Amino acid sequence: MNTKKIINPLISGKKRKRNEKAIKSVFFLTAIFGIIIIFSILFFLIRETYPLPTDIWSFLSGTIWSPTESLQFGTFSLTVGTLLVTLGAMIIAIPISIGGALFISEIASSRVRSIIKPAIELLAGIPSVVYGFFGLIILTTWIKDIFGVPTGETWLAGSIILGIMAIPTITTVAEDAIKAVPREFKEGSLAMGATKWQTIQKVIIPSALSGITAAIILGIGRAVGETMAILMVCGNAAIIPTPLWNIFSPIRTLTSTLGIETAEVPVGGPHYHALFGVAVLLLMITLIINITAVYLLGTIQKRQGATSKKKKHLFSITLLIKIKKIFTSLGLLFILLLLYLITGLLITAILVIIGGLLWFMRNKISQKNLQKIAFSTLGAAILLIIVILGIILSYIIINGAGALSWEFLTEAPKRLGREGGISTPLIGTLYLVAGAIAIALPIGVGASIYLTEYTKENTLTKIIRTGADLLNGTPSIVFGLFGFAFFVLYLKFGFSLIAGQITLAFMIIPTILRTTEEALRSVPQSLREGSYAVGATRWQTIRRVVLPPAAPGIITGAILGIGRAAGETAPIMFTAVAFSSFFPTSLLEPVNALPYHLFIISTNVPGAAAKNAAGGTALVLLLLVIGFYSIAILIRNHYQKTMKW
Amino acid sequence: MTSNQIITTKNLNLWYGEKQALFDINMGIYANKITALIGPSGCGKSTLIRCFNRMNDVIDKCRITGSIYFNGNDILQTNTDAVEIRKKIGMVFQKPNPFPKTIYENVAYGSRVQGINDKKKLDDIVEKSLKKAALWDEVKDRLYESAMGLSGGQQQRLCIARSLAIEPEIILMDEPCSALDPIATAKIEDLMTELKKTYTVIIVTHNMQQAARVSDYTAYMYLGKLIEFGDTEQIFENPKQELTENYITGRFG
Repeated sequence: MNTKKIINPLISGKKRKRNEKAIKSVFFLTAIFGIIIIFSILFFLIRETYPLPTDIWSFLSGTIWSPTESLQFGTFSLTVGTLLVTLGAMIIAIPISIGGALFISEIASSRVRSIIKPAIELLAGIPSVVYGFFGLIILTTWIKDIFGVPTGETWLAGSIILGIMAIPTITTVAEDAIKAVPREFKEGSLAMGATKWQTIQKVIIPSALSGITAAIILGIGRAVGETMAILMVCGNAAIIPTPLWNIFSPIRTLTSTLGIETAEVPVGGPHYHALFGVAVLLLMITLIINITAVYLLGTIQKRQGATSKKKKHLFSITLLIKIKKIFTSLGLLFILLLLYLITGLLITAILVIIGGLLWFMRNKISQKNLQKIAFSTLGAAILLIIVILGIILSYIIINGAGALSWEFLTEAPKRLGREGGISTPLIGTLYLVAGAIAIALPIGVGASIYLTEYTKENTLTKIIRTGADLLNGTPSIVFGLFGFAFFVLYLKFGFSLIAGQITLAFMIIPTILRTTEEALRSVPQSLREGSYAVGATRWQTIRRVVLPPAAPGIITGAILGIGRAAGETAPIMFTAVAFSSFFPTSLLEPVNALPYHLFIISTNVPGAAAKNAAGGTALVLLLLVIGFYSIAILIRNHYQKTMKW
Repeated sequence: MTSNQIITTKNLNLWYGEKQALFDINMGIYANKITALIGPSGCGKSTLIRCFNRMNDVIDKCRITGSIYFNGNDILQTNTDAVEIRKKIGMVFQKPNPFPKTIYENVAYGSRVQGINDKKKLDDIVEKSLKKAALWDEVKDRLYESAMGLSGGQQQRLCIARSLAIEPEIILMDEPCSALDPIATAKIEDLMTELKKTYTVIIVTHNMQQAARVSDYTAYMYLGKLIEFGDTEQIFENPKQELTENYITGRFG
């Protein structure tokens, strides 16, 4: 053995090790931030709920919500309202989204796909207050005229708007699940002479089923948590529709209750505590929904990771098939009943006859024709999505183009927005967004670096990741209430720019975290190994080898976050905004913001002048947000093409 | 243990989670020679070679016992710094993995992370390393173009140049030719023979002819165990173990 060297040269200097450790702990701190936020949200909401002005049982089951007159705090009608609106939205969104996802991933050519995917992303990018504005001026009028009801502000309007808003979420997640089906499965089926449609039906859909389910659940979570659009189109009467299937009844959800009442509530009174109770209830519902989705998506990853163990079925296979059949027929009956109640006898009868005919002819139609029918149906789903996007965009543009002018952009609003322009809300939004991204970017990027580069998969990373997922699914109005309780009241910031910036930042951290993580993971492991192999430390490897190619992905995530923050109303409604014509001069002053301005002048200010100004504001907001999204999409597409390993 | 053994392993065991991948490996690597590790897929040869520069540190749930002595020091000890080991024991991977940077920056990378930023010094290192890797003549006019534009064989020689640039004592090669065509393979093999004048080379290969052509010593591994280790000529012409003979004569594997 070589004993010439007395000092072991392989032990490095303490200084470098200490540096590496310090860097690691900084990233660790950013990583646990998400969990801290989740728990502080829970903590502050529950803290403000106490003392609840009524016992929990009557709070949950009471049907009368009359917080200012008879002081009754029953939230049951609100919960029912939330569930009904969501149910309606899902009936609309699920078939369209899943059809669309199948079309995009299995049928569309890459050229068609390159048009459809950005279209769906744009649909996701439209701010909810713009959806609300569209619903308020267009959709409700259509419903009123077509169905001859006294007002269009109904459950139906809410469900349609929510359905459209849920489409991008469900489509994207379902598409990912379908894409994750190994190609070998598909090729195996095709190689045996199955048609493409048979392969989709018998191989792809079953393999992607849990992912598709997760997509639907995430869509439900999104719908349950939506505030502004619902608040603007549903009529907001805290009643349970009579009869229960009366889709033309006005309806009120948990979120819209918070949206309407929180701003005016006396702090510390029974109404105040009851509202925080509503927020806790809402958070609980969405937490359950999101945990289910996270769990489902987790099982997919596990299954793809390792060969699955043989499952023991509780029942025999034949019994399972029977149970499945019973459930399917019950489901069909239920849908028929709904159809009948909503559309009347004639349409139901026609649909039943068409469905029956198809069922009996299914063996007579050749597989080729069956495939044609199926593919056209899926194509129709996609077409519908594009048409919806087209309608919304063109109405917003037509409605708003007249109001646009240089003065509109540069003058402060006068007479409650009827005259003048939108300079203060525009600048206010830019301030809010700039602050939010400055806070969220380092935390989000730091956390994702910690997750991908510094840890091996363990319980802690699982908790951190779940925390981020839950934060992602938390309704924006809940962030609003948290900001109100924590920054405005507890820290005594008051309604201020800084309170709004931090609240928005909390909301977009998960977006940034997730896109950054994806970008970091797309850098091949072999590059890291190449760097380690020549003696680079971990931080050197991250800085010089991993971050540069991941930068476009990170920038994309940041811009998506900016777009999201710019369009949100609910988180800033109780933390930062004032309907003002002044620019803030310090971080502790309130600001005006575009989405809030639009919300106020389209719902609270009567008259044609206000309507005109609202149209202009909606267009500017839409252009701003879509501008951010388009830049993000362009950057991503550009680098996807040039990046090759 | 003889003094010209630059690496010796003692009772080396390795687990991935529950699964044991290496069993009691005891072997010595001779300095300035080429040692080939052969054996059927999954026999642990890549795992073993990755122990020598602690590359398994990167892998989840990997646990090692035993010792690996490099110049007399145990590199598996916890106070040993993997970064220092890797400066002395370079590695070339199965698939060429150049960084998405220029050719120049790829070779200069190892020096840069050690804090060398003097342009003249770097120029010198880059030229010397590329020459040693027999790539200089092909790339000297396009040093500042992206390394991603090189052919697979050129990329692999670039990776060799990259690991030579930090002047290691040992170069580990994990199936360096498995992604290359025969012409590029021949170039790398010539290069290896050239390299052993200055360095110790350990190569994992699937290709028995390659092992026979280039190596001085050969180790045959099977199911995580070192079955036979010896002079390449002896292993190929007169194997002592039946398992080795079966493999070499193509009766399995």
